[in-house]
Amino acid sequence: MSGPDTSPALEVRGLTKHFGGVYAVDGCSFQAPRGQVTGLIGPNGAGKSTAIDLISGFKLPDGGTVLFKGRAIEGLAPHHISRMGLIRTFQSPREWPGLTVLENVVMARWDAGRESFLRGVVGLARAQRDRSSAELAKAREILDEFGLLALRDERAGNLSGGQKRLVEFARIRMAQPELVILDEPMGGVNPVLGERMALAIEAFIATGTSVIVVEHNLPFIERVTQHVIVMALGTVIAEGPFESLRSNQDVVDAYLGGAVAG
Amino acid sequence: MREYLISVLTEGAIFGIMALGLNVIWGWSGDFDLAYYGYIAVGAYMTLVLTVGPAVAPAHYILGLTLPYPLAVVIAVITSMAVSLVVGSIALRHLRGIYFSIVTLGAVYVMYVFAGQYTPLFNGYQGLSGLFDPMGDWFGLDYLSYQYFLLGLCLVLFALVFLFMWRISGSRFGMALRTLREDERAAAAFGRDIYRLKLKGYVLGAGLGGFAGALFAAYLTAFNTSAWSPVEVIVLYSAVLVGGRGNIWGVALGVLIMGLLVQESTRFLPMLPGLGELNTVHPQVLLAARGAIIGLVLVLFLRFRPQGLLPERRFADSEGALAVAPQTA
Repeated sequence: MSGPDTSPALEVRGLTKHFGGVYAVDGCSFQAPRGQVTGLIGPNGAGKSTAIDLISGFKLPDGGTVLFKGRAIEGLAPHHISRMGLIRTFQSPREWPGLTVLENVVMARWDAGRESFLRGVVGLARAQRDRSSAELAKAREILDEFGLLALRDERAGNLSGGQKRLVEFARIRMAQPELVILDEPMGGVNPVLGERMALAIEAFIATGTSVIVVEHNLPFIERVTQHVIVMALGTVIAEGPFESLRSNQDVVDAYLGGAVAG
Repeated sequence: MREYLISVLTEGAIFGIMALGLNVIWGWSGDFDLAYYGYIAVGAYMTLVLTVGPAVAPAHYILGLTLPYPLAVVIAVITSMAVSLVVGSIALRHLRGIYFSIVTLGAVYVMYVFAGQYTPLFNGYQGLSGLFDPMGDWFGLDYLSYQYFLLGLCLVLFALVFLFMWRISGSRFGMALRTLREDERAAAAFGRDIYRLKLKGYVLGAGLGGFAGALFAAYLTAFNTSAWSPVEVIVLYSAVLVGGRGNIWGVALGVLIMGLLVQESTRFLPMLPGLGELNTVHPQVLLAARGAIIGLVLVLFLRFRPQGLLPERRFADSEGALAVAPQTA
């Protein structure tokens, strides 16, 4: 056993993206500690979502670097980044609506060998079959944990908004990435479900997945995060534990629409 | 009557293979491909130029070989797949939805005009002919027994293609294709290389189209631009839609229904008052009326039952059936 890995789960340096003359992300730099929940907050238009798109490969940055597992990943395709162990969610739940809840969870785990065309024709090898049945059992277990087991044969598109969020969380549990970036997981979720999601985020940490969560719901951020990064106008204006930010004038100004440039 | 039945069933089996190929592209990957009939045509043309021998003036066409029919079919399928790889790698890279459809429509019209107008390729609009009873003399078959032979062959091949598609449908590969149809950004977020996966599905579907085209050439003995028009693909789409997009059993049912409708409409339409006489003056009227019927069926299904008669079935875990795929449990 080696000692605990103290390197950050993710490091972003000078990330920049502009659309025409508008700098959506402008020299954004931060670190997300390993084994913790990092909050990413900021007013609308702060560049949080663009930053996530840049980190996860869904948009190409104009400058800066993103370090994940000791590698610069900026500019890589989304599927490469995902396969390395960095998975993101989206502001609105993106379930596969026509597939069942169970299928949504099982297919969250990508596997080149089992998904090849050739394997589709000739069938799986014994070891692959064993892995598939183990994953199936695992998926049922995870759904049970989220209280979705009874709905496993339901098409995911038929679920309520909150249930779809839970399916998304279940998919992350199944994929077991090294780092997950949750983009506004509380959007349209009631407070009762919110507590369930907070517990789910704790379970991510317990299973070795570091978390970055983008959220407007500040009580939720206070509840789940150990470390918070505040963005405004495309750049990081403050960071630290949530309590330390309450008294930070820049943060207050940014949220109230005051001038932060300077 | 007997010969009529033989020809309907043979055509139906070929039509079924075409629809199963289209189902890979539209039913599973989710792309509304309008170039599909082009791959069928490439398969048919290639089979002919590889089997009917050298061109005799004034005809012109490439190759003009006398290969055994099965070998020609293999080469024809590969050619269809190669053409689809070119079209797909351009159209699938960034374009989706209606934009993808428009580019594929452009591609198929390029193929159509090229085949019809550029004489040295496939003899222009006069097309190719002379593929009589391929493999018939291997078994010493006379005309009628050859019709039975071809029917049997097409039915067996349809069954094999169906079996093949049944395996793919339940496989992880088939599931991965469906994740693209359902939400490709989520598919990418969970590790799928959207572009490569879509391209694989596209080329696989086009290969089946080319295969069906090769059989179609044997059935028709000839092929030219009046034998295909890019809009024929709508009949295939209607079969997949009516039966149940994504469900191979549904596709088979849709082929049965639309095949019968198309066949029979040319018989019952002239009985409609006025239409028969009108058709003797304007011979295009029946064809147009047939098109209108197919269009009407399409619209009605899109409005009232878009999932088709046999919607895609998902695997029910709680019923003890195999979850996700026959391969996973």
